[in-house]
Amino acid sequence: MEYRDYYKVLGVARTATAEDIKKSYRRLARKYHPDVSKEKDAEQKFKELQEAYEVLKDPEKRAAYDQLGSDWKSGQQFRPPPDWASGFEFSGGGGGRARGAGGAHAFEDEGFSDFFSSLFGGGSHFGATGRRRQPQSGRDHHARIDIDLEEAFGGGTRTLDLKRPELTGEGTLQLKSHTVRVTIPAGVSDGQLIRLAGQGETPPGGGRAGDLYLEVHVRAHRLFQLEGRDVTLTLPVAPWEAALGATVTVPTLGGAVDMQVPAGAQSGQKLRLRGRGLPGSPPGDEYVQLKVVLPPASSPGAQALYEEMRAKLGSFDPRAELQAAPRGGGAP
Amino acid sequence: MTELPKSGEAQLVGEADWIAASELCRLCRLELTAVIELVELGLVSPRGPAPEQWLLPAAELPRLAIAGRLIHDLGINASGAALAVELLEMQRDLERRLRRLERLTMD
Repeated sequence: MEYRDYYKVLGVARTATAEDIKKSYRRLARKYHPDVSKEKDAEQKFKELQEAYEVLKDPEKRAAYDQLGSDWKSGQQFRPPPDWASGFEFSGGGGGRARGAGGAHAFEDEGFSDFFSSLFGGGSHFGATGRRRQPQSGRDHHARIDIDLEEAFGGGTRTLDLKRPELTGEGTLQLKSHTVRVTIPAGVSDGQLIRLAGQGETPPGGGRAGDLYLEVHVRAHRLFQLEGRDVTLTLPVAPWEAALGATVTVPTLGGAVDMQVPAGAQSGQKLRLRGRGLPGSPPGDEYVQLKVVLPPASSPGAQALYEEMRAKLGSFDPRAELQAAPRGGGAP
Repeated sequence: MTELPKSGEAQLVGEADWIAASELCRLCRLELTAVIELVELGLVSPRGPAPEQWLLPAAELPRLAIAGRLIHDLGINASGAALAVELLEMQRDLERRLRRLERLTMD
């Protein structure tokens, strides 16, 4: 496994005070929190931050971590020394998973690193004391699933590889890969939760397994924009289709359909295809926003047509509304 | 050949219209006191006489889950989380509108 430099992750010196560490964590957590961040790989960075903070905010864990020395570099191959953490007294409440107010993580199934587990997992002094021995039921786990809009519309089956902390026969805590095959219900929308009964934590002493909750994130689509169960499509139309009306073929999630563009339609106007959004009760709608596209005046014939329009439609003033505005522009 | 794991029994949470406060607390990892505060702040409107018997609209689960994560992960209080959720929604709505307008004006 690879060594992790928790001080570097939090951007603080090894001599930083608890207050410095807290401030730095708050600042970086605000920057990389997956719900608010636009940074690339924000989720991964946020998990690293949580792991580093879990260790450095706790004086006991920090002291033990510091005992490893300052010569290690991030990414360097690492094994805990045989006498790891000996000579410390522990107050308990550690364990391989973060708990309490700061530890109810989103996406906790993806877990902390093997490095963290090897140092502070259930087999260490840290993990041994705070764990329930025979919980009556396992904890629920949470993870995130990214799906395409087509899958949200039609449903599908996905195989997910998740990591979860599990107790080994020797009583140590290890991150184990866990494969789950999920049937995605048709009509699931962004932010919804899917529950997989009994796929959460299995209590070591027996009892009911917890559930696994998957929070659905629908990826941005090339054509459609999703809002709740409704989708919006921008549909290019020719000027004569908008002016005279036309029947045009429109893509929908369920396949192409014919739609009537009313005569006199304008660019930006929205038309509704009822029930063509995501399925549900009631199903969503598809909104078609028209975009009038002008043919280029790139041939003598096309230029002649535009000249004819100017001659015959010369009274048309696209800027008529601007005439009412006071001349001169800006505020006094 | 590797045998595929059995398909999990997937169930959409929030298919019913209303959800008990205790279930919501579990799903969104919120304390009941935080839910009460979020209700007082107008982020969600319950049905029922007392918090323990409240039913909350399941459609609000995603925004309450975000509020729960912000409270836990960033150490902010319920007022701050409610404000952040509303501002995030406003931001996403504006981004959607911007993308639509960009599609209208792009060549």
